[in-house]
Amino acid sequence: MAQKHRKLTYSLIVLVGFLTVCPVLMLIFGSLSEGLTAFGAFTPDKYIAAYTDPDLFTVLSQTAVFVPGSALLATILALFLAYISTRTDMPFRFLFKIIPIIPMMIPHILFSISWVMLLNPSNGILNLLLRQVFSLEESFLSIYSLPGMIMVEGLLDLPIAYLIIAPAMSSFDVALEESSRVCGAGSFRTLFKITLPVLRPAILAAFILCIIRCLASFAVPSAIGMPGRIYVLATHLYRMVSTGFAADYGKAAAVGVSVLVSSIVLIYVYRHFTSASERFVTISGRGYKPTVIKLKKAKIPVFIILLILSFLLIVLPVLVLIYISLVPYSMVPSAKAFAAMSLKNWTTVLKDPVSLLSLKNSLFLGVFGATLGIVLSTFVAYIIVKVRTKAAGILETLSFLSFSFPGIVIGVGFMWFFVRTPLYATIWALLIGYIATYLPYGIRPLTSAFVQIHSHLEESSLVAGASYLKTFRRVIVPLLTPGLVSGWVLMATMFFRELTLSVILSRPGSEVLAVQILRFSEDGQWGKLSALGIIMILVSTLLVMLVNFIGSKIRPVQ
Amino acid sequence: MEIRIKGLRKHFVSEGKTIKALDDVDITIPANTIFTLLGPSGCGKTTLLRCIVGLETPDAGEIRIGDEIVWSSSKNIYVPTEKRKLGMVFQTYAIWPHMNVFDNVAYPLQNQKVPKDEIRERVAKTLAFVQLEGYEGRPATNLSGGQQQRVALARALVAEPGVILFDEPLSNLDAKLREETRKELKTFLSELEITAVYVTHDRVEALALSDTIAVMRAGRIIETGEPKKIYFGAESRFVADFIGRANLVPAVVKEQTPAETIVECALGRLACKKAEVSGEVTLCVRPEFIHPQKGAGEERRGNIVRGKIETLIFIGDAYEGEIRCGDILLLARLDPEMDFAPGDAVFFEISSGQCLLVSK
Repeated sequence: MAQKHRKLTYSLIVLVGFLTVCPVLMLIFGSLSEGLTAFGAFTPDKYIAAYTDPDLFTVLSQTAVFVPGSALLATILALFLAYISTRTDMPFRFLFKIIPIIPMMIPHILFSISWVMLLNPSNGILNLLLRQVFSLEESFLSIYSLPGMIMVEGLLDLPIAYLIIAPAMSSFDVALEESSRVCGAGSFRTLFKITLPVLRPAILAAFILCIIRCLASFAVPSAIGMPGRIYVLATHLYRMVSTGFAADYGKAAAVGVSVLVSSIVLIYVYRHFTSASERFVTISGRGYKPTVIKLKKAKIPVFIILLILSFLLIVLPVLVLIYISLVPYSMVPSAKAFAAMSLKNWTTVLKDPVSLLSLKNSLFLGVFGATLGIVLSTFVAYIIVKVRTKAAGILETLSFLSFSFPGIVIGVGFMWFFVRTPLYATIWALLIGYIATYLPYGIRPLTSAFVQIHSHLEESSLVAGASYLKTFRRVIVPLLTPGLVSGWVLMATMFFRELTLSVILSRPGSEVLAVQILRFSEDGQWGKLSALGIIMILVSTLLVMLVNFIGSKIRPVQ
Repeated sequence: MEIRIKGLRKHFVSEGKTIKALDDVDITIPANTIFTLLGPSGCGKTTLLRCIVGLETPDAGEIRIGDEIVWSSSKNIYVPTEKRKLGMVFQTYAIWPHMNVFDNVAYPLQNQKVPKDEIRERVAKTLAFVQLEGYEGRPATNLSGGQQQRVALARALVAEPGVILFDEPLSNLDAKLREETRKELKTFLSELEITAVYVTHDRVEALALSDTIAVMRAGRIIETGEPKKIYFGAESRFVADFIGRANLVPAVVKEQTPAETIVECALGRLACKKAEVSGEVTLCVRPEFIHPQKGAGEERRGNIVRGKIETLIFIGDAYEGEIRCGDILLLARLDPEMDFAPGDAVFFEISSGQCLLVSK
């Protein structure tokens, strides 16, 4: 048994190690090389060029506003929503259950672009509307600004922050607050002296994770920042490799190294806070249900805020896309606009060979990539949970590392690698890149599934006379199914709409949906973009529903 | 401080059903006693405690602590928890994990804006009282269960409240530690001039700690009295059964003599402890009062019960035996050195004082 496991452990270490360490090493080598073709001769030139770049200061200062600003907005909103949902008598609290799954439905790039369609200064629908109503000459709201970027990015990261803060808040032992009140502290003092400090590790963990995500974020900086000439690190990197006469992968790698290092440092800070949070919030099982805070008069304003948030997050982006896909050009909804509606954009897109190819490629990457990814994740999760050796620990660290990898940086690293292989410019390059970058998302639900399968369950099946194979089929697989399904869905939806890595690695012939949408956006082809975007949302929703359906069929009756 | 509760009512609606957590409770808790609310889970004892401290709002009634009315539905008075100046030890201790021991204990004094020097002094004194000297700087997450319990006690005592409330404070400790802590708690509380209201479902805890026990059931207080009175002289069948192990036998009152009440039951004609009852009653005999001997005991007269041993289970310090007397199986504790075997004919004599008559 142990022998077999050891072989498996080592082969997984080699495989996962290749996937995570290879792009990092190539990034470092690349940053020390002359160029993609002159790999090997080491030179510090690229570092000097990258860090003496006069633009770098502006980029850094804009990043320094954008990243913490968005993370702060997301965390504060998440804190507010989590408090309302776990601790008050707010009606319609089921809305909170929807919020965490929104990012699965609407790809970030589409969400960002829908805001551009609403609030861009030249023909954003809201701006046109405001100009009409107040008879203004110019738009006074522009999404092409740091506050605009922060707002959209903050809304996009809200679900992640919520998913960390809400469980901490609902497992909070209310006796901690009650004893503070008995000790003579009022509600307000209790909130600031007890509730928030006890939740501090969870809040900080959410904030740090949002920072990592914002630092890696490409959708908002590319769809909103670039047209407004507001560059942050991600788009600064992208600019170096995609525009200009000569793409400079060396310089990009030199900047990328710092971004990667800061991300890895941040992920360790995050890990520290999550473990502190687990230590802090030790719930005691028995005891009273959280006392529900009666909102009384605040009920209606809070409810309105909640409605506005769900409207901004769910309804508006989809509505805008549907509307724009039907009208010939950006116009305020009116009788005239409704009269001009047609399916022209849809027919154009469905005849556009590149759009169709990107749909096909993304579908392939989503379905096939997620399947491969989940197979690998299952083995890795099994070793991490069931085999507690030193080698398994190394595997855990390795597989967790890529959690912090910013897609665009890792894309540059992979570029240095693939250019030397026949995989360059093929869809397989994307497939490998995706699995390497998103492996932790597949491993996570599977580790928690394996944790639930206590070894006694397997052992008692063996004692009852079932063979290993039968045990696997009758005991392990049924118990693992929920984890497999959620891991697969998570990976498939992420692959299906992947943007950051693809924007570096995709070449003519290996276009994917998100990149195609970004191209449409750069050309201002809103109509075609919206039609393709809706197709994208529909297909990924169908995919999620289909897999969940299959999963529920396999699962034993409970 | 004395606590007076009048007509306290609290109903919950859960899944369409109304649960009477408190059903017009009237009770006076005398000053400087250890007063225990005892009852099975769901009887409303914790709700009553939480109403006293103000974490729960009753539907109707009045609560007076000392001279102050802290809650009254008719007078529309509600003093919030933080203004009631009470101390409380929670079931989970509720030690704040982000503070060290000193900050946890100092918190009530900080809320009262006590000068810093005085806080330090009083915290040190209180920690010494609960035997935790030198633990000031210890992080709260780094304490054992028993230590957490003492920190919680110190925090409840530090501001010298007139009343301290305990919500099943020992239920999270393991059996051995629970016994030790119970003794300690008894010592601590008897050294202080304080009214303690103690909620528990553990009868041994209630008997060992309390000056007075109030037994609750379904939102009502059934009986109140000293531990011995509750144990030996319970008035209701429920209390007699809840406070200890009991053989309950239906009986009919036949005669009242000046000193005893004579009943007829499946065990025969027995003289019981004097009770003002008539007609159908329940006879309660505790297993530990039954001391059987071998034989039929034909020559003996008086309160004699005869039967046959049906089962015997060795549990270490005793045999737990069942004695068959006609249709009735009596539970008894037998001396492990006695040489009994199932099937043996036995008899025992029981004094009238150990035959308790309770309501049917």
